[in-house]
Amino acid sequence: MSSTAEGLKARPRPQEASDWFTIPAPLARLFKKFPLLTYPPNELPARSPDIRHVPTLYVFISDEDALKGLPSFNPSCLKWQTFLKLAGVDFCLRSSNNHASPTGALPFLLPPSTPNDTRSQRPIATNKLEQYGLDNGKPKLPESLGTRLEAYESLLDHRIRNAWLYTLYLSPANADLLTNLYITPTTSSRPVRATILYQLKHAAELEILKSTSRDAINPAHLYRGAKEAFRALDGVLGDEEWFFQSAVPGLFDATVFSYTHLILHDGLAWENRRLNDFLKEFPRLVSHRNRIFQRCWESGE
Amino acid sequence: MMSFQLHVWGPAFGLDSIDAECLAAIAAFRHIFHHDDWSLTASNDTSLTPDYTLPALFHDDTWTSGYTNIISYLRHHGTSDAKSLSDNDLTLQQEADLLAYSSYLSTRGSGLVSLSLYASPNAWVELTRPAYSALLPFPLTWTIPTAIRAAAVEKAENLGMGYLAAEAEADEAAAKSGAETTSTGFLRLRQQLGPRKSMQPEQTAAIRFQQLADDFFTTLDDLRGSRKYLLGTPSPSSLDFLTYGYLALMRVQTPYPILARSLQAKGRPSMQFLQMMEAESQGYVLPRQESKPRGLPRTMYVFADGAIESIAGAGESWRRWRRGGIQSDEGEEVQDSAQTLVAVGSAVVGLAAVAAAVFFRGLSPFGASTHRFEAPKEETGLYRFGEVGAMLDFLPIFEQPPTPSSRVRDTI
Repeated sequence: MSSTAEGLKARPRPQEASDWFTIPAPLARLFKKFPLLTYPPNELPARSPDIRHVPTLYVFISDEDALKGLPSFNPSCLKWQTFLKLAGVDFCLRSSNNHASPTGALPFLLPPSTPNDTRSQRPIATNKLEQYGLDNGKPKLPESLGTRLEAYESLLDHRIRNAWLYTLYLSPANADLLTNLYITPTTSSRPVRATILYQLKHAAELEILKSTSRDAINPAHLYRGAKEAFRALDGVLGDEEWFFQSAVPGLFDATVFSYTHLILHDGLAWENRRLNDFLKEFPRLVSHRNRIFQRCWESGE
Repeated sequence: MMSFQLHVWGPAFGLDSIDAECLAAIAAFRHIFHHDDWSLTASNDTSLTPDYTLPALFHDDTWTSGYTNIISYLRHHGTSDAKSLSDNDLTLQQEADLLAYSSYLSTRGSGLVSLSLYASPNAWVELTRPAYSALLPFPLTWTIPTAIRAAAVEKAENLGMGYLAAEAEADEAAAKSGAETTSTGFLRLRQQLGPRKSMQPEQTAAIRFQQLADDFFTTLDDLRGSRKYLLGTPSPSSLDFLTYGYLALMRVQTPYPILARSLQAKGRPSMQFLQMMEAESQGYVLPRQESKPRGLPRTMYVFADGAIESIAGAGESWRRWRRGGIQSDEGEEVQDSAQTLVAVGSAVVGLAAVAAAVFFRGLSPFGASTHRFEAPKEETGLYRFGEVGAMLDFLPIFEQPPTPSSRVRDTI
């Protein structure tokens, strides 16, 4: 008698507690047996140096190009790579990807490590790189160039970037180039490649839509916008050597270069050459790109 | 002859329109045309135009939408008696500035407006949502403002300030769960300690917001300097009207008027510019026209469209399918079949997930006792699961310590 009363009392509880996510007791017991075996932690890869004397910049680049210190194929990586070179910071390059970055975006920089100093182990994200370049470079960067620069930056960050995103990621003609740059190095599995490709294209589409605040992407508009932006940049550069009458190239020059170099770079197999054609109409921008390239990569280092 | 019809978002906050580009377009038309030559309709209906964007100009049976497009359309189709903008005779340098600053306004400027009027939860609840409610017919007030706000929050995210809205939602949930004031009427401190928790989201974001606002106005101040119009032209250019549109919205007094305060600080040239532009437009009677009522079927159609768009997962595919996604360009067929397949597939999967969730809700809960009227002894362990459970119960891995209830039974 007492046992049935006890049983009745105990029963309503499991029904109350039953939820979508409650694991049945036998399954829970089964899962508690795991892990069956725990391996010791992996050793660091043999190629990772224990003491770094120079800072390391992690960018999108192929391994061979990284060894030679060649330009990255991603505009925002190339922008900071160029800036650090212009600032006179001595650094080495590593090929990497977004998943390796603490912020989820490349590039990031690991400062030279000194033992017993935890601050030196902390990576420097993109938004702190300008300060890092100014602090650690040789003092030959231009002083503040005034507020006009901010307005012109919006041309690069929106009009030219949108056209770049469309040309590389969405234009079907350049699908092979996109695959070679971003997909093939990551994996050899076909389904994974297809998924990554879809995700990349989708992300690019969303970025453009967000930036234009329209519901549809109109490539003709994007290209017209980019062409106007190139004309404006050409106009503001004028016959000067660097932007905004600066005596030495700075961050803005690096940003312009990161797009113009990649658009004009013969090593990239562009099939859709619209941006390339536009840019060639502005010879002053082309020679600006050549000047930066010479300064950073051909100065006989 | 009334040939130029301008369609815009309706008035709000004591201004002619709730949207910066619409304000700019109205101001430009006011400058260019005599008020008999055009008409202004507050249609509040983006689906009028193929681009789903207001302001939109209807002229010669064609729609042109967006401020920049309208200006360039007017430059090519302007009538002789209209005053022209100084856009036509600019130097190369001025043209470059016009483009750069217009782009700056429509990215940074519109991000700041989004932040202060849309992403900021207090401003949204007290000002912006009521303003949209006054503009739109009944069921559309549920779908359209939310979609506009979502887009605005994304813009704020571009400025790195998207967390303002996200934080506010968490905050609202916290506020609902408990009383906010003590019996003596003081604000009750939240359970989690730290100053962040007891502050409004706008206050925690204020320092960064203030910095962005100051930078923005300083950039415009430096451009104007002591000149009358921004580019130093004798008559206004399209940049002047666009700047007016954004500055007018930035001056709106929100519950936390960070933008307005920054604009009105220390006699900024930007503020003087705004006052000058307003003084110039006084005494002009806008040729307003009543917008045609949409009618119930059309309203319901737009409502259904908005409702489907807000379904998580399926909404995006729906919008892509309805509004084109990527338009093809000079023979380049972008929307390949695989992409359409994925879009349709994800829509189906989204709906299936919702259906499955509803179905599962209806099922009896998984893992609950089903044989509760059998003898207590058989109910322990896997016997609860019937015959299969009984078989499995012999396996050693399912051995369990005696449950408290069974021990109690034994002792009694």
